[in-house]
Amino acid sequence: MIDLKEIRKTYGKGESSAEVLKGISVTIKEHSYTVILGASGSGKSTLLNVASGLERPDSGAVLYGGRDITTLTEDELTAFRKENIGFIFQQYYLLPNMNVDKNVKMGADLVGNREYRSLIEAMGLGGKMDKYPGQLSGGEQQRVSVARALAKKPRVLFLDEPTGALDEQTGREVLDYIGRLHQEQGFTVVMVTHNRNISEMADTVITMNSGRISEVYSNAVTKNAYEIGW
Amino acid sequence: MVVGIKDGAKLAGIMITSFCAVLVCTLFLNYNMDLVSMEDVITAGPARMMYDALMMTSKVVCCVTGGCLLATTVIMLFFYIRHYIDTHKKELGILKALGYSDMQVAVHFWVFGLRVFLGAGAGYLGASLMMPWFYGTQNADGMLPDVTMHFHPLLFLYLVVGPALFFAGAAVLYACRKLKTPALSLIRDNLWAEVKMPKHRAKDADSSFMAELKKCTLREKKILVFFMVFASFCFSAMTQMSFSMEELSSAMMGAMILLIGIVLACTALFLAITTVVRGNSKTIAMMRVFGYSRKQCSQAILGGYRPAAYMGFGIGTVYQYALLRIMVDIVFRDMEGALVYEFDFPVMCLSLGFFAVVYELVLYGYSQRIRKISIKEIMMEG
Repeated sequence: MIDLKEIRKTYGKGESSAEVLKGISVTIKEHSYTVILGASGSGKSTLLNVASGLERPDSGAVLYGGRDITTLTEDELTAFRKENIGFIFQQYYLLPNMNVDKNVKMGADLVGNREYRSLIEAMGLGGKMDKYPGQLSGGEQQRVSVARALAKKPRVLFLDEPTGALDEQTGREVLDYIGRLHQEQGFTVVMVTHNRNISEMADTVITMNSGRISEVYSNAVTKNAYEIGW
Repeated sequence: MVVGIKDGAKLAGIMITSFCAVLVCTLFLNYNMDLVSMEDVITAGPARMMYDALMMTSKVVCCVTGGCLLATTVIMLFFYIRHYIDTHKKELGILKALGYSDMQVAVHFWVFGLRVFLGAGAGYLGASLMMPWFYGTQNADGMLPDVTMHFHPLLFLYLVVGPALFFAGAAVLYACRKLKTPALSLIRDNLWAEVKMPKHRAKDADSSFMAELKKCTLREKKILVFFMVFASFCFSAMTQMSFSMEELSSAMMGAMILLIGIVLACTALFLAITTVVRGNSKTIAMMRVFGYSRKQCSQAILGGYRPAAYMGFGIGTVYQYALLRIMVDIVFRDMEGALVYEFDFPVMCLSLGFFAVVYELVLYGYSQRIRKISIKEIMMEG
């Protein structure tokens, strides 16, 4: 369970400062599929960064099973991310000079996962192990980044607009992979998106507006990636 | 325009190598020119032999020091220009898209030559200040009539103005050549999605990510391996040579060589490591996001250069021994009471120990710097 308590975050100083998170408190249940929904500038990506330990809040606490990660040192935080967190970004951030196999191995080696190639196969990239990111389509690159994130067997998978740079068909494919793997492996999913349709796949939806949570609700029925609108 | 005087200010490495090269060459050439004017007075006997030996020494020192440093400065200049173009692709691409020709953009790279002028000018000035002291030391043995010091303005032209013009021209031409890329390719450049396939394919599919990353880092910037080798080479050759020079020539020569060696080594080491860390900041940021420790990042990115650094030290040791051996065996062979030169093993051990401490401390310092790389800022650049 992830507990965020009174999280505040301001960028800049003086007159040019902007308070991006204005006292956010929310709980994300273990094994849940949570979507953080909001318009551009609502603070959803900052909330994801704070919740995942990539950024420190100005005040407030981020509790993982009662342990406040905001009090950890930089090295402790890195070790925490190693053991618990996986990331998928809109821009993929694959290492351009490494092939698919080695990009995924980046995640796998951290936890000594020798079975990581089965993930690449599951992503439909079995025949492209030796390809470099520049030789792959956007959808394929994002699937590599999904495999890389899951190869380290995270307890929580954070996704920042994972379909933002993809067309509808490829976006649905990627979401379908993530949805199926979430069902199979049971990790917690926290996804940031501005696409309201995607929130129909989640069991919990947190809506943000101007640095505040405007609504938190649960979906009684969730849809899969091919049932939602786009 | 994209390239300005301020950008030239970053070329500290080029300034330092120009300074060192011109300092040494001015001292020896100026002395040589004054010595030549006394040739008629020195006719025979040990004085003639001493004269020939001094002339030869000056030529060897100028060729070796000047030549090595000139080559290094050229490599550094091209490296800086390439690095500058790589990191300013978008702005340069926009200029080209607006209609500026390659030459119109490239011509602004002349400012890089200005740094050579400043470095070389400072070297000339330094040599002029040191000149009375240098002449005093050279005259001290009394084997030749006292050489009177004269200033030779021609040297300023050859060693300061000439190289500055050469480097300004070389910078413009090299930049022009590097800019011959379609404007759109420059504008669209995205480091994360570069469509650039390595020539080398991973042969060992089961090698670890860290091992592969280490190999990739070394493969991609071979010039940095050169700088790393050069840094340790300078350190090794110059420190060891300075001790021998104290016996073979004078304490002043020893101190000068030691100083130049340390300055050059530090410059090259700083340049290489800073570029490695900056060039890999996105990889480091991503590794840290995933949970790789600072030590692991440092090992993967910087650790690969360690063998190159120690290899450079070895080459430097052999080089300085060979150079001094040649000097003693060939240049001074006919002189009475010829100098004796033997390889100084304790000095080599001392130099190696000091180098190891400095090198490892620098690496440690940079591994601390890796900790400060802002993950969020790197992501925002994406």
